[in-house]
Amino acid sequence: MSRPPVKRAHSMRKPVSRTPPWVVPAAVVAGIALVIATFLIIRWYTTPLAQPPLAEDPTQRVVATITSLPASEFDAVGTGSARNTIKAVTGTPLTGPGGRPEVFYYGAEFCPYCAAERWPLIIALSRFGTFSGLKTTTSSSSDVYPNTPTFTFHGATYTSQYIDFVAVETSDREGKPLESPTAAQQAIVSKYDTSGSIPFLDFGNRYVISGATYQVDVLSGMSWQALANALQVPDSSQAKAILGSANLITAAICKLTADQPASVCSSPSIQAIEKTLG
Amino acid sequence: MRWQLVSLIAALAGIGVSVYLTVEHAATALACPATGVVNCEAVVSSSYGVIGGSNVPTSAAGIAWFAVSAGLGAALWRRPHLLVARLQLAWAAIGLATVLYLVYVEIVKLGAICLWCTAAHVLVLLIFLIALPRPDQGEWQ
Repeated sequence: MSRPPVKRAHSMRKPVSRTPPWVVPAAVVAGIALVIATFLIIRWYTTPLAQPPLAEDPTQRVVATITSLPASEFDAVGTGSARNTIKAVTGTPLTGPGGRPEVFYYGAEFCPYCAAERWPLIIALSRFGTFSGLKTTTSSSSDVYPNTPTFTFHGATYTSQYIDFVAVETSDREGKPLESPTAAQQAIVSKYDTSGSIPFLDFGNRYVISGATYQVDVLSGMSWQALANALQVPDSSQAKAILGSANLITAAICKLTADQPASVCSSPSIQAIEKTLG
Repeated sequence: MRWQLVSLIAALAGIGVSVYLTVEHAATALACPATGVVNCEAVVSSSYGVIGGSNVPTSAAGIAWFAVSAGLGAALWRRPHLLVARLQLAWAAIGLATVLYLVYVEIVKLGAICLWCTAAHVLVLLIFLIALPRPDQGEWQ
């Protein structure tokens, strides 16, 4: 005798708890949020603190070190890791207060890119003349590349028998107004610095540079003395960046001075760069 | 399958964002004003804006990654396939790992966030989440 077929219930099994479909994606998003929070904490711990400005004597030692590098080192570095962003322009030749071709700098103390560019600019200009009154400072603490060590042109003077150097630092490292450009300087900036970015360099209205010519991060976390020491080693990343940039600036200045002084402008590396400037 | 259509659209959007960042990279100077932490110029123009010291922008790798993702998303949208789905998950995991590294660079190394980069990173995350196996549709979609 066969039993009548038992009608199967629709579900004989006890329901098993299943993972809702949103759990895994939510766990992934939560994990990523945790990782990002960790990154923020690392950043908070590793951000370099603002270094207090150096006293006068250590500042002079640093300046003396970076402005007395041997010519052979400049030749060894060449353009190094610098970006040649020199642009040829046309206009009435720019002459300075002394009647010599003028190199015009327009920047601000808070700006990390200006902080970077002052190093090669000081080194290059010191091959044609002498700075006095340079003081150390750092870029803004709240901008990218915070507290980048540098110098300020505010209050400094420059003398040379070949060129005049005029600098305008529009703001201090806190962003407060410091110096205002004259109407003529503002006209130069408006005409040649069309992107409105700083640092801006004008070489006698013949060449201009907008922005830094090397990556700022090579200066990160370094002191002025450490940078000065690194610049004495041609293979260091700082020397390749800063001395490479200094060579670019030197070549642009040599174009203004008709290759004077020869001891600077006739070097193979400067001559090679000059050929690319047009 | 409709999620794969979303994945395909996200990949196409990612290609657009990466192309924009590549063009931006070519035009960017190392310059201020670039104040604040939301700063594409600082990120794109940094030494991390190129692949391994070359001249190839990092965003160019983004174009390639999103293009492959679009291909995988399109294939799965047309017809689900286990092998392709696994490939999509592996590819998306590589993308997500790269995104985490790039976010590390932005936050820790540069201290600057690029909004366009973040848009691309969110799209990578979205594609990864879609590629995950979903329990309500079997092991794989």
